[in-house]
Amino acid sequence: MSEDLRNAIGSLLKEPATVASIATLDENGAPVSVPSPFLRLDADGRLVHLELLETSATHRNLLRSIWFERPVSVTVAGSDNRVLVTTGRTYKALVSGPLFSEYYREVRARLGDADLAAVWLIEPEQIRDETYAVRKEREEALHPFHLHLDRLAVRHADTP
Amino acid sequence: MTLALARKFPGTPLEDAVRRYPDVPRLIILKTDVQRRGVHYTEEAVSYLDPEKHQTTGTHIFGARDGVIALRPESLLLRDGTSIITTPTPLEENPYVVDLRDGRPWLFDAGVALEEVDYWPAPAFYGKDSSSGVPMKNIVSARPQRLNIFPYRYCTFWNNGKGCAFCDIVTQLKKGSKELKIPARLDPVEVGAVIGEALKEEGRFSTVFLTSGSIIGGSRPFDDEIDYYIAILKEVGKNFRTPKFPSQLIGTAFEKEQLKRLYAETGLTSYTSDIEVLNEELFNQHCPGKAEWIGYREWKKRLVDAVEIFGPGRVNTGLVAGIELAGPHGFRSEDEALERTLAEAEDLARQGVSTVLIVWSPRPDTALGAYKNASLDYYIRLARGLHALRVKYRLPIEHDSYRNCGNHPDTDLSRLLPLWEE
Repeated sequence: MSEDLRNAIGSLLKEPATVASIATLDENGAPVSVPSPFLRLDADGRLVHLELLETSATHRNLLRSIWFERPVSVTVAGSDNRVLVTTGRTYKALVSGPLFSEYYREVRARLGDADLAAVWLIEPEQIRDETYAVRKEREEALHPFHLHLDRLAVRHADTP
Repeated sequence: MTLALARKFPGTPLEDAVRRYPDVPRLIILKTDVQRRGVHYTEEAVSYLDPEKHQTTGTHIFGARDGVIALRPESLLLRDGTSIITTPTPLEENPYVVDLRDGRPWLFDAGVALEEVDYWPAPAFYGKDSSSGVPMKNIVSARPQRLNIFPYRYCTFWNNGKGCAFCDIVTQLKKGSKELKIPARLDPVEVGAVIGEALKEEGRFSTVFLTSGSIIGGSRPFDDEIDYYIAILKEVGKNFRTPKFPSQLIGTAFEKEQLKRLYAETGLTSYTSDIEVLNEELFNQHCPGKAEWIGYREWKKRLVDAVEIFGPGRVNTGLVAGIELAGPHGFRSEDEALERTLAEAEDLARQGVSTVLIVWSPRPDTALGAYKNASLDYYIRLARGLHALRVKYRLPIEHDSYRNCGNHPDTDLSRLLPLWEE
Protein backbone atom coordinates (compact mmCIF):
# COMPACT_ATOMS: atom_id res chain seq x y z
CA MET A 1 0.00 0.00 0.00
CA SER A 2 1.34 3.40 -0.98
CA GLU A 3 2.63 5.49 1.91
CA ASP A 4 2.14 8.54 -0.31
CA LEU A 5 -1.56 7.84 -0.59
CA ARG A 6 -1.86 7.17 3.13
CA ASN A 7 -0.17 10.50 3.81
CA ALA A 8 -2.43 12.14 1.25
CA ILE A 9 -5.47 10.92 3.16
CA GLY A 10 -4.03 12.39 6.34
CA SER A 11 -3.48 15.71 4.61
CA LEU A 12 -6.95 15.76 3.06
CA LEU A 13 -8.59 15.00 6.40
CA LYS A 14 -6.91 18.02 7.93
CA GLU A 15 -8.73 20.32 5.52
CA PRO A 16 -12.11 21.52 6.79
CA ALA A 17 -13.75 21.31 3.35
CA THR A 18 -12.95 17.61 2.93
CA VAL A 19 -15.95 15.27 2.90
CA ALA A 20 -15.64 11.66 4.09
CA SER A 21 -18.02 8.74 3.94
CA ILE A 22 -17.95 5.15 5.12
CA ALA A 23 -19.54 2.19 3.36
CA THR A 24 -20.35 -1.07 5.11
CA LEU A 25 -22.19 -4.28 4.24
CA ASP A 26 -25.43 -5.34 5.89
CA GLU A 27 -26.44 -8.92 6.68
CA ASN A 28 -27.62 -9.44 3.11
CA GLY A 29 -24.44 -8.04 1.63
CA ALA A 30 -26.11 -4.79 0.59
CA PRO A 31 -23.89 -1.70 0.89
CA VAL A 32 -24.77 1.11 3.30
CA SER A 33 -22.90 4.39 2.85
CA VAL A 34 -23.13 7.35 5.23
CA PRO A 35 -21.10 10.49 5.94
CA SER A 36 -18.26 10.16 8.45
CA PRO A 37 -17.86 13.75 9.62
CA PHE A 38 -15.28 13.02 12.34
CA LEU A 39 -13.02 10.77 10.26
CA ARG A 40 -9.28 11.03 10.84
CA LEU A 41 -6.06 9.08 10.57
CA ASP A 42 -4.36 8.03 13.81
CA ALA A 43 -0.66 7.81 14.56
CA ASP A 44 -0.62 4.12 13.58
CA GLY A 45 -2.05 4.85 10.13
CA ARG A 46 -5.54 3.56 10.98
CA LEU A 47 -8.69 5.36 10.02
CA VAL A 48 -10.75 6.49 13.01
CA HIS A 49 -14.52 6.57 12.52
CA LEU A 50 -16.72 7.89 15.32
CA GLU A 51 -20.11 6.19 15.49
CA LEU A 52 -22.63 8.13 17.47
CA LEU A 53 -25.57 5.71 17.67
CA GLU A 54 -25.49 2.17 19.03
CA THR A 55 -28.27 0.90 16.76
CA SER A 56 -27.30 2.71 13.56
CA ALA A 57 -26.97 0.51 10.48
CA THR A 58 -23.32 1.47 10.14
CA HIS A 59 -22.47 0.61 13.75
CA ARG A 60 -24.09 -2.78 13.43
CA ASN A 61 -22.41 -3.39 10.09
CA LEU A 62 -19.04 -2.45 11.54
CA LEU A 63 -19.64 -4.98 14.28
CA ARG A 64 -20.55 -7.53 11.62
CA SER A 65 -17.33 -6.61 9.88
CA ILE A 66 -15.15 -7.30 12.92
CA TRP A 67 -17.09 -10.48 13.75
CA PHE A 68 -17.24 -12.02 10.29
CA GLU A 69 -14.27 -10.48 8.49
CA ARG A 70 -16.23 -8.30 6.08
CA PRO A 71 -14.51 -5.40 4.33
CA VAL A 72 -15.41 -1.75 4.77
CA SER A 73 -14.70 1.15 2.48
CA VAL A 74 -13.96 4.78 3.26
CA THR A 75 -14.08 7.58 0.69
CA VAL A 76 -12.37 10.93 1.24
CA ALA A 77 -13.10 13.77 -1.19
CA GLY A 78 -11.19 17.05 -1.03
CA SER A 79 -12.27 20.46 -2.23
CA ASP A 80 -9.67 20.21 -5.02
CA ASN A 81 -11.63 17.26 -6.49
CA ARG A 82 -9.12 14.75 -5.17
CA VAL A 83 -10.85 11.50 -4.20
CA LEU A 84 -9.15 8.68 -2.27
CA VAL A 85 -10.92 5.40 -1.56
CA THR A 86 -9.69 3.03 1.15
CA THR A 87 -10.79 -0.53 1.61
CA GLY A 88 -9.91 -2.20 4.86
CA ARG A 89 -10.91 -4.21 7.89
CA THR A 90 -12.27 -3.15 11.21
CA TYR A 91 -9.53 -3.60 13.75
CA LYS A 92 -11.08 -2.48 17.00
CA ALA A 93 -14.04 -0.79 18.66
CA LEU A 94 -13.08 1.38 21.60
CA VAL A 95 -15.96 1.76 24.05
CA SER A 96 -14.21 2.90 27.20
CA GLY A 97 -10.99 4.48 28.36
CA PRO A 98 -9.06 7.72 27.93
CA LEU A 99 -9.10 7.80 24.12
CA PHE A 100 -12.82 7.09 23.99
CA SER A 101 -13.46 9.86 26.53
CA GLU A 102 -11.35 12.28 24.52
CA TYR A 103 -13.43 11.68 21.38
CA TYR A 104 -16.64 11.78 23.42
CA ARG A 105 -15.75 15.26 24.63
CA GLU A 106 -14.88 16.34 21.09
CA VAL A 107 -18.21 15.11 19.71
CA ARG A 108 -20.11 16.95 22.40
CA ALA A 109 -18.07 20.10 21.91
CA ARG A 110 -19.07 20.09 18.23
CA LEU A 111 -22.63 18.81 18.40
CA GLY A 112 -23.88 19.76 21.85
CA ASP A 113 -25.88 17.09 23.65
CA ALA A 114 -24.70 14.13 21.58
CA ASP A 115 -23.49 10.68 22.52
CA LEU A 116 -20.78 8.38 21.20
CA ALA A 117 -21.35 4.64 20.80
CA ALA A 118 -17.87 3.58 19.74
CA VAL A 119 -14.60 4.71 18.25
CA TRP A 120 -13.96 2.36 15.32
CA LEU A 121 -10.41 1.81 14.16
CA ILE A 122 -10.09 0.63 10.56
CA GLU A 123 -6.93 -0.95 9.20
CA PRO A 124 -6.46 0.16 5.57
CA GLU A 125 -5.55 -2.67 3.20
CA GLN A 126 -5.72 -0.82 -0.09
CA ILE A 127 -5.94 2.85 -1.05
CA ARG A 128 -6.99 3.85 -4.55
CA ASP A 129 -6.71 7.29 -6.06
CA GLU A 130 -10.15 7.81 -7.60
CA THR A 131 -9.58 11.45 -8.49
CA TYR A 132 -11.34 11.95 -11.83
CA ALA A 133 -8.44 13.65 -13.57
CA VAL A 134 -6.05 10.90 -12.52
CA ARG A 135 -8.46 8.11 -13.46
CA LYS A 136 -9.27 9.77 -16.81
CA GLU A 137 -5.63 9.93 -17.77
CA ARG A 138 -5.09 6.27 -16.86
CA GLU A 139 -8.29 5.19 -18.59
CA GLU A 140 -7.33 6.87 -21.86
CA ALA A 141 -3.82 5.50 -21.75
CA LEU A 142 -4.68 1.94 -20.83
CA HIS A 143 -8.16 1.43 -22.34
CA PRO A 144 -8.35 3.31 -25.64
CA PHE A 145 -11.21 1.12 -26.89
CA HIS A 146 -13.53 2.69 -24.31
CA LEU A 147 -13.34 6.13 -25.89
CA HIS A 148 -16.13 7.65 -27.98
CA LEU A 149 -14.68 8.33 -31.40
CA ASP A 150 -16.13 11.82 -31.71
CA ARG A 151 -13.67 12.88 -29.04
CA LEU A 152 -10.86 11.91 -31.43
CA ALA A 153 -12.44 13.10 -34.63
CA VAL A 154 -11.12 15.98 -36.73
CA ARG A 155 -13.03 19.06 -35.73
CA HIS A 156 -14.53 21.11 -38.63
CA ALA A 157 -15.36 24.75 -38.43
CA ASP A 158 -19.09 24.02 -38.26
CA THR A 159 -18.73 21.45 -35.46
CA PRO A 160 -20.13 22.87 -32.24
CA MET B 1 -14.13 -16.58 9.91
CA THR B 2 -12.12 -16.71 6.74
CA LEU B 3 -10.09 -19.71 5.74
CA ALA B 4 -7.01 -17.53 5.76
CA LEU B 5 -7.46 -16.72 9.43
CA ALA B 6 -8.38 -20.26 10.33
CA ARG B 7 -5.12 -21.46 8.84
CA LYS B 8 -3.24 -19.11 11.14
CA PHE B 9 -4.08 -21.17 14.18
CA PRO B 10 -4.76 -24.67 12.92
CA GLY B 11 -5.93 -27.20 15.40
CA THR B 12 -6.54 -25.02 18.45
CA PRO B 13 -9.79 -25.82 20.26
CA LEU B 14 -10.94 -22.28 19.53
CA GLU B 15 -10.48 -22.53 15.79
CA ASP B 16 -12.04 -26.00 15.72
CA ALA B 17 -15.13 -24.54 17.40
CA VAL B 18 -15.15 -21.57 15.02
CA ARG B 19 -15.33 -24.01 12.10
CA ARG B 20 -18.20 -25.90 13.73
CA TYR B 21 -20.23 -22.72 14.37
CA PRO B 22 -19.66 -20.35 11.43
CA ASP B 23 -22.71 -18.28 12.44
CA VAL B 24 -21.22 -17.43 15.85
CA PRO B 25 -18.50 -14.76 15.96
CA ARG B 26 -15.02 -16.05 16.72
CA LEU B 27 -14.59 -13.36 19.38
CA ILE B 28 -17.72 -14.51 21.21
CA ILE B 29 -16.63 -18.14 21.07
CA LEU B 30 -13.26 -17.08 22.48
CA LYS B 31 -14.91 -15.05 25.22
CA THR B 32 -17.12 -18.00 26.14
CA ASP B 33 -14.20 -20.39 26.33
CA VAL B 34 -12.09 -18.01 28.38
CA GLN B 35 -14.97 -17.68 30.82
CA ARG B 36 -15.29 -21.45 30.82
CA ARG B 37 -11.63 -22.30 31.36
CA GLY B 38 -10.49 -19.18 33.21
CA VAL B 39 -7.22 -17.32 32.80
CA HIS B 40 -3.74 -17.33 34.19
CA TYR B 41 -1.74 -14.10 34.15
CA THR B 42 1.99 -14.50 33.66
CA GLU B 43 4.35 -12.39 35.72
CA GLU B 44 4.93 -10.23 32.64
CA ALA B 45 1.19 -9.75 32.20
CA VAL B 46 0.85 -8.71 35.83
CA SER B 47 3.84 -6.38 35.52
CA TYR B 48 2.07 -4.62 32.60
CA LEU B 49 -0.73 -3.76 35.02
CA ASP B 50 -0.70 -0.11 36.07
CA PRO B 51 -3.24 0.66 38.82
CA GLU B 52 -3.26 4.27 37.66
CA LYS B 53 -4.48 3.20 34.23
CA HIS B 54 -6.08 -0.20 34.75
CA GLN B 55 -8.66 -1.67 37.04
CA THR B 56 -7.21 -4.18 39.42
CA THR B 57 -9.10 -6.95 41.21
CA GLY B 58 -11.16 -5.42 43.93
CA THR B 59 -14.65 -5.58 45.29
CA HIS B 60 -15.73 -8.96 44.02
CA ILE B 61 -18.92 -10.14 45.59
CA PHE B 62 -17.84 -13.64 44.49
CA GLY B 63 -14.38 -15.16 44.78
CA ALA B 64 -11.70 -16.10 42.25
CA ARG B 65 -11.38 -19.63 40.94
CA ASP B 66 -7.94 -20.03 42.44
CA GLY B 67 -9.20 -18.76 45.81
CA VAL B 68 -6.55 -16.03 45.92
CA ILE B 69 -6.97 -12.32 46.48
CA ALA B 70 -4.04 -10.59 44.78
CA LEU B 71 -3.33 -7.61 42.56
CA ARG B 72 -4.36 -8.72 39.06
CA PRO B 73 -6.27 -7.24 36.15
CA GLU B 74 -9.95 -6.97 36.99
CA SER B 75 -10.87 -8.42 33.59
CA LEU B 76 -10.36 -8.12 29.87
CA LEU B 77 -11.75 -6.26 26.86
CA LEU B 78 -11.78 -7.75 23.38
CA ARG B 79 -11.40 -5.85 20.11
CA ASP B 80 -15.15 -5.74 19.52
CA GLY B 81 -15.76 -3.91 22.80
CA THR B 82 -17.07 -6.97 24.62
CA SER B 83 -15.77 -7.83 28.03
CA ILE B 84 -14.50 -11.16 29.21
CA ILE B 85 -15.45 -11.43 32.84
CA THR B 86 -13.29 -14.23 34.05
CA THR B 87 -11.37 -15.32 37.07
CA PRO B 88 -7.77 -16.32 37.64
CA THR B 89 -7.59 -20.10 37.55
CA PRO B 90 -4.85 -22.52 38.63
CA LEU B 91 -2.56 -23.54 35.76
CA GLU B 92 -3.23 -27.24 36.34
CA GLU B 93 -6.86 -26.61 35.29
CA ASN B 94 -5.70 -25.62 31.77
CA PRO B 95 -6.78 -21.98 31.63
CA TYR B 96 -6.01 -19.57 28.82
CA VAL B 97 -2.85 -17.60 29.48
CA VAL B 98 -2.52 -13.83 29.35
CA ASP B 99 1.02 -12.89 28.43
CA LEU B 100 2.74 -10.03 26.63
CA ARG B 101 3.43 -10.02 22.89
CA ASP B 102 5.29 -7.08 21.43
CA GLY B 103 4.73 -5.31 24.73
CA ARG B 104 0.93 -5.75 24.71
CA PRO B 105 -1.29 -8.25 26.52
CA TRP B 106 -2.57 -11.17 24.43
CA LEU B 107 -4.55 -14.30 25.07
CA PHE B 108 -2.61 -17.51 24.45
CA ASP B 109 -3.67 -21.14 24.31
CA ALA B 110 -1.01 -23.86 24.30
CA GLY B 111 1.54 -21.23 23.35
CA VAL B 112 -0.45 -19.94 20.37
CA ALA B 113 -1.21 -16.20 20.43
CA LEU B 114 -4.94 -15.85 19.71
CA GLU B 115 -6.08 -12.31 20.35
CA GLU B 116 -4.84 -9.08 21.78
CA VAL B 117 -6.77 -7.86 24.80
CA ASP B 118 -7.00 -4.71 26.86
CA TYR B 119 -7.18 -4.54 30.62
CA TRP B 120 -10.23 -2.65 31.82
CA PRO B 121 -9.44 1.05 32.18
CA ALA B 122 -9.47 2.47 35.69
CA PRO B 123 -12.21 5.00 36.33
CA ALA B 124 -11.20 8.43 37.59
CA PHE B 125 -12.93 8.08 40.97
CA TYR B 126 -10.90 5.00 41.93
CA GLY B 127 -8.12 7.13 43.33
CA LYS B 128 -10.41 8.99 45.74
CA ASP B 129 -11.73 8.35 49.25
CA SER B 130 -15.30 8.79 50.49
CA SER B 131 -16.23 11.32 53.19
CA SER B 132 -15.79 8.59 55.80
CA GLY B 133 -12.32 7.76 54.49
CA VAL B 134 -13.18 4.51 52.68
CA PRO B 135 -11.60 4.18 49.21
CA MET B 136 -14.42 4.94 46.78
CA LYS B 137 -13.61 1.82 44.80
CA ASN B 138 -14.61 -0.21 47.86
CA ILE B 139 -18.07 1.37 47.77
CA VAL B 140 -18.80 1.48 44.05
CA SER B 141 -16.85 -0.55 41.51
CA ALA B 142 -16.81 -0.37 37.74
CA ARG B 143 -16.92 -2.30 34.55
CA PRO B 144 -15.92 -0.63 31.29
CA GLN B 145 -19.32 1.06 30.99
CA ARG B 146 -21.13 0.16 34.21
CA LEU B 147 -21.17 1.31 37.84
CA ASN B 148 -21.54 -1.57 40.30
CA ILE B 149 -23.07 -1.24 43.72
CA PHE B 150 -22.82 -4.31 45.96
CA PRO B 151 -24.40 -2.80 49.06
CA TYR B 152 -24.83 -5.90 51.22
CA ARG B 153 -22.23 -8.60 50.95
CA TYR B 154 -24.13 -11.29 52.75
CA CYS B 155 -27.06 -13.53 51.88
CA THR B 156 -29.44 -14.50 54.64
CA PHE B 157 -30.22 -17.81 52.95
CA TRP B 158 -26.95 -18.86 54.54
CA ASN B 159 -28.38 -18.30 58.06
CA ASN B 160 -29.63 -21.87 58.13
CA GLY B 161 -27.04 -23.17 55.68
CA LYS B 162 -29.27 -22.97 52.63
CA GLY B 163 -27.13 -20.84 50.38
CA CYS B 164 -26.84 -21.73 46.71
CA ALA B 165 -24.52 -24.64 45.92
CA PHE B 166 -22.36 -22.65 43.48
CA CYS B 167 -22.12 -19.47 45.60
CA ASP B 168 -19.23 -18.31 47.79
CA ILE B 169 -20.62 -14.91 48.76
CA VAL B 170 -20.17 -15.49 52.49
CA THR B 171 -16.63 -16.82 52.16
CA GLN B 172 -15.78 -13.86 49.98
CA LEU B 173 -17.37 -11.46 52.46
CA LYS B 174 -15.06 -12.70 55.16
CA LYS B 175 -12.04 -12.37 52.89
CA GLY B 176 -13.23 -8.97 51.68
CA SER B 177 -13.67 -7.61 55.19
CA LYS B 178 -10.32 -8.93 56.38
CA GLU B 179 -8.08 -8.45 53.37
CA LEU B 180 -9.69 -5.61 51.43
CA LYS B 181 -11.44 -3.70 54.23
CA ILE B 182 -14.69 -3.53 52.30
CA PRO B 183 -17.72 -2.55 54.41
CA ALA B 184 -20.22 -5.43 54.69
CA ARG B 185 -23.16 -3.03 54.45
CA LEU B 186 -22.92 0.28 52.63
CA ASP B 187 -24.39 3.60 53.73
CA PRO B 188 -26.88 4.74 51.04
CA VAL B 189 -25.83 8.39 51.38
CA GLU B 190 -22.21 7.48 50.86
CA VAL B 191 -23.13 5.36 47.84
CA GLY B 192 -25.00 8.29 46.33
CA ALA B 193 -22.01 10.56 46.86
CA VAL B 194 -19.61 8.14 45.17
CA ILE B 195 -21.96 7.77 42.19
CA GLY B 196 -21.99 11.57 41.93
CA GLU B 197 -18.21 11.59 41.84
CA ALA B 198 -18.13 8.82 39.23
CA LEU B 199 -20.49 10.71 36.93
CA LYS B 200 -17.99 13.55 36.69
CA GLU B 201 -16.02 11.36 34.29
CA GLU B 202 -17.48 12.13 30.88
CA GLY B 203 -18.20 9.33 28.46
CA ARG B 204 -17.51 6.49 30.84
CA PHE B 205 -20.65 4.97 32.29
CA SER B 206 -23.93 3.97 30.68
CA THR B 207 -25.72 2.25 33.55
CA VAL B 208 -25.98 1.84 37.31
CA PHE B 209 -26.12 -1.71 38.58
CA LEU B 210 -27.16 -2.86 42.01
CA THR B 211 -27.16 -6.29 43.61
CA SER B 212 -26.74 -7.86 46.99
CA GLY B 213 -27.42 -11.10 48.74
CA SER B 214 -31.03 -11.85 49.65
CA ILE B 215 -32.36 -10.33 52.89
CA ILE B 216 -35.31 -12.29 54.22
CA GLY B 217 -36.34 -9.87 57.01
CA GLY B 218 -39.25 -7.42 57.10
CA SER B 219 -43.03 -7.34 57.61
CA ARG B 220 -43.29 -9.43 54.46
CA PRO B 221 -40.29 -11.58 53.58
CA PHE B 222 -37.72 -9.48 51.73
CA ASP B 223 -39.26 -6.12 52.70
CA ASP B 224 -35.92 -5.25 54.31
CA GLU B 225 -34.13 -5.96 51.02
CA ILE B 226 -36.62 -3.80 49.11
CA ASP B 227 -36.36 -0.96 51.65
CA TYR B 228 -32.59 -1.03 51.42
CA TYR B 229 -32.57 -0.96 47.61
CA ILE B 230 -35.06 1.90 47.61
CA ALA B 231 -32.93 3.88 50.06
CA ILE B 232 -29.85 3.40 47.89
CA LEU B 233 -31.58 4.07 44.57
CA LYS B 234 -33.10 7.26 45.96
CA GLU B 235 -29.65 8.52 46.90
CA VAL B 236 -28.27 7.47 43.52
CA GLY B 237 -31.22 9.16 41.81
CA LYS B 238 -30.33 12.52 43.33
CA ASN B 239 -27.46 12.65 40.83
CA PHE B 240 -29.78 12.63 37.79
CA ARG B 241 -31.96 15.30 36.20
CA THR B 242 -34.46 12.70 35.04
CA PRO B 243 -36.76 10.67 37.30
CA LYS B 244 -35.62 7.44 35.63
CA PHE B 245 -32.09 6.54 34.65
CA PRO B 246 -30.54 3.50 32.92
CA SER B 247 -30.21 0.97 35.69
CA GLN B 248 -30.47 -2.70 36.57
CA LEU B 249 -31.21 -4.43 39.84
CA ILE B 250 -30.54 -8.09 40.41
CA GLY B 251 -32.62 -8.98 43.43
CA THR B 252 -34.67 -11.75 44.93
CA ALA B 253 -37.97 -12.60 43.22
CA PHE B 254 -40.20 -10.05 44.88
CA GLU B 255 -43.98 -9.93 45.25
CA LYS B 256 -45.83 -7.68 42.86
CA GLU B 257 -46.54 -5.04 45.51
CA GLN B 258 -42.87 -4.93 46.41
CA LEU B 259 -41.92 -4.53 42.75
CA LYS B 260 -44.43 -1.73 42.33
CA ARG B 261 -42.80 0.14 45.21
CA LEU B 262 -39.37 -0.45 43.77
CA TYR B 263 -40.42 0.94 40.41
CA ALA B 264 -42.56 3.82 41.67
CA GLU B 265 -40.22 5.14 44.33
CA THR B 266 -36.93 4.98 42.45
CA GLY B 267 -35.36 5.64 39.07
CA LEU B 268 -34.88 1.93 38.41
CA THR B 269 -35.58 0.90 34.80
CA SER B 270 -34.98 -2.86 34.69
CA TYR B 271 -35.23 -5.87 36.93
CA THR B 272 -33.43 -9.17 37.02
CA SER B 273 -34.07 -12.04 39.36
CA ASP B 274 -31.83 -15.03 38.85
CA ILE B 275 -33.49 -18.42 38.92
CA GLU B 276 -30.02 -19.94 38.34
CA VAL B 277 -31.24 -23.21 36.81
CA LEU B 278 -34.35 -23.94 34.74
CA ASN B 279 -35.52 -27.17 36.31
CA GLU B 280 -37.56 -27.48 39.47
CA GLU B 281 -35.75 -30.46 40.98
CA LEU B 282 -32.33 -29.01 40.33
CA PHE B 283 -33.46 -25.62 41.63
CA ASN B 284 -34.58 -27.26 44.87
CA GLN B 285 -31.22 -29.01 45.19
CA HIS B 286 -28.89 -26.21 44.22
CA CYS B 287 -30.83 -23.24 45.58
CA PRO B 288 -32.40 -24.53 48.81
CA GLY B 289 -32.83 -21.06 50.32
CA LYS B 290 -34.68 -19.78 47.28
CA ALA B 291 -36.78 -22.94 47.29
CA GLU B 292 -37.59 -22.59 50.98
CA TRP B 293 -38.60 -18.95 50.93
CA ILE B 294 -40.18 -18.59 47.49
CA GLY B 295 -40.26 -21.81 45.52
CA TYR B 296 -39.55 -22.53 41.87
CA ARG B 297 -42.99 -21.95 40.38
CA GLU B 298 -43.59 -18.84 42.44
CA TRP B 299 -40.18 -17.51 41.36
CA LYS B 300 -41.21 -17.83 37.73
CA LYS B 301 -44.62 -16.30 38.40
CA ARG B 302 -43.00 -13.28 40.03
CA LEU B 303 -40.72 -12.80 37.03
CA VAL B 304 -43.74 -12.74 34.76
CA ASP B 305 -45.53 -10.35 37.12
CA ALA B 306 -42.54 -8.01 36.90
CA VAL B 307 -43.08 -7.60 33.15
CA GLU B 308 -46.31 -5.74 33.90
CA ILE B 309 -44.33 -3.24 35.92
CA PHE B 310 -41.03 -2.86 34.07
CA GLY B 311 -42.22 -3.79 30.59
CA PRO B 312 -41.28 -6.52 28.09
CA GLY B 313 -37.57 -6.61 27.43
CA ARG B 314 -36.83 -5.01 30.79
CA VAL B 315 -37.13 -8.15 32.91
CA ASN B 316 -34.87 -11.16 32.78
CA THR B 317 -33.48 -14.04 34.73
CA GLY B 318 -30.00 -15.51 34.83
CA LEU B 319 -28.69 -19.05 34.65
CA VAL B 320 -25.46 -20.30 36.16
CA ALA B 321 -25.08 -22.41 33.08
CA GLY B 322 -23.43 -25.73 33.64
CA ILE B 323 -24.70 -26.52 37.13
CA GLU B 324 -27.62 -28.35 35.52
CA LEU B 325 -25.10 -30.98 34.41
CA ALA B 326 -23.14 -31.18 37.65
CA GLY B 327 -23.41 -33.82 40.32
CA PRO B 328 -25.26 -37.12 40.53
CA HIS B 329 -28.67 -35.56 39.93
CA GLY B 330 -27.74 -33.37 36.96
CA PHE B 331 -29.02 -33.96 33.45
CA ARG B 332 -27.43 -37.03 31.92
CA SER B 333 -26.40 -35.38 28.68
CA GLU B 334 -25.79 -31.93 27.28
CA ASP B 335 -28.44 -32.56 24.63
CA GLU B 336 -31.04 -33.25 27.30
CA ALA B 337 -29.92 -30.22 29.33
CA LEU B 338 -30.22 -27.98 26.28
CA GLU B 339 -33.60 -29.26 25.27
CA ARG B 340 -35.13 -28.93 28.73
CA THR B 341 -33.49 -25.61 29.60
CA LEU B 342 -34.49 -23.97 26.33
CA ALA B 343 -38.04 -25.31 26.63
CA GLU B 344 -38.46 -23.60 29.98
CA ALA B 345 -36.70 -20.45 28.74
CA GLU B 346 -39.15 -20.35 25.86
CA ASP B 347 -42.07 -20.50 28.25
CA LEU B 348 -40.66 -17.44 30.03
CA ALA B 349 -39.84 -15.65 26.77
CA ARG B 350 -43.40 -16.15 25.56
CA GLN B 351 -44.47 -14.18 28.65
CA GLY B 352 -41.94 -11.37 28.14
CA VAL B 353 -39.11 -12.61 30.36
CA SER B 354 -35.67 -13.05 28.83
CA THR B 355 -33.21 -15.65 30.03
CA VAL B 356 -29.47 -15.00 29.97
CA LEU B 357 -26.58 -17.25 30.85
CA ILE B 358 -23.37 -16.86 32.71
CA VAL B 359 -20.72 -19.48 32.24
CA TRP B 360 -20.43 -21.27 35.56
CA SER B 361 -17.01 -20.95 37.19
CA PRO B 362 -16.72 -23.68 39.80
CA ARG B 363 -15.23 -21.95 42.82
CA PRO B 364 -13.26 -23.78 45.49
CA ASP B 365 -15.33 -22.72 48.52
CA THR B 366 -18.65 -23.99 47.19
CA ALA B 367 -20.66 -27.20 47.38
CA LEU B 368 -20.25 -27.72 43.62
CA GLY B 369 -16.62 -26.61 43.58
CA ALA B 370 -15.28 -30.08 42.80
CA TYR B 371 -17.28 -30.43 39.57
CA LYS B 372 -16.38 -29.22 36.11
CA ASN B 373 -18.44 -26.87 33.99
CA ALA B 374 -19.88 -27.89 30.62
CA SER B 375 -18.25 -28.17 27.20
CA LEU B 376 -17.62 -25.19 24.95
CA ASP B 377 -20.11 -26.62 22.46
CA TYR B 378 -22.78 -26.66 25.15
CA TYR B 379 -22.27 -22.99 25.98
CA ILE B 380 -22.27 -21.98 22.32
CA ARG B 381 -25.45 -23.92 21.64
CA LEU B 382 -27.14 -22.53 24.74
CA ALA B 383 -26.14 -18.96 23.82
CA ARG B 384 -27.49 -19.48 20.29
CA GLY B 385 -30.71 -20.94 21.68
CA LEU B 386 -31.35 -18.10 24.11
CA HIS B 387 -30.57 -15.56 21.41
CA ALA B 388 -32.98 -17.29 19.03
CA LEU B 389 -35.74 -17.00 21.63
CA ARG B 390 -35.18 -13.26 21.83
CA VAL B 391 -35.49 -13.05 18.07
CA LYS B 392 -38.61 -15.24 18.03
CA TYR B 393 -40.38 -13.32 20.81
CA ARG B 394 -39.01 -9.89 19.88
CA LEU B 395 -37.36 -9.33 23.25
CA PRO B 396 -34.67 -6.66 23.43
CA ILE B 397 -32.05 -7.19 26.13
CA GLU B 398 -30.38 -3.78 26.14
CA HIS B 399 -30.34 -3.48 29.94
CA ASP B 400 -28.18 -6.62 30.19
CA SER B 401 -26.09 -6.08 27.05
CA TYR B 402 -22.36 -5.92 26.38
CA ARG B 403 -22.42 -2.27 27.47
CA ASN B 404 -24.48 -2.67 30.59
CA CYS B 405 -23.15 -6.01 31.79
CA GLY B 406 -20.76 -7.89 29.54
CA ASN B 407 -21.08 -11.26 31.26
CA HIS B 408 -23.45 -13.04 28.87
CA PRO B 409 -22.27 -14.47 25.54
CA ASP B 410 -25.91 -14.81 24.48
CA THR B 411 -26.64 -11.11 24.93
CA ASP B 412 -23.48 -10.28 22.98
CA LEU B 413 -25.17 -11.98 20.04
CA SER B 414 -28.12 -9.66 20.58
CA ARG B 415 -26.00 -6.73 19.45
CA LEU B 416 -27.26 -7.63 15.99
CA LEU B 417 -30.90 -8.15 16.95
CA PRO B 418 -33.37 -6.80 14.41
CA LEU B 419 -34.62 -3.29 15.08
CA TRP B 420 -38.27 -4.19 15.37
CA GLU B 421 -39.44 -0.63 15.74
CA GLU B 422 -38.16 0.31 12.28
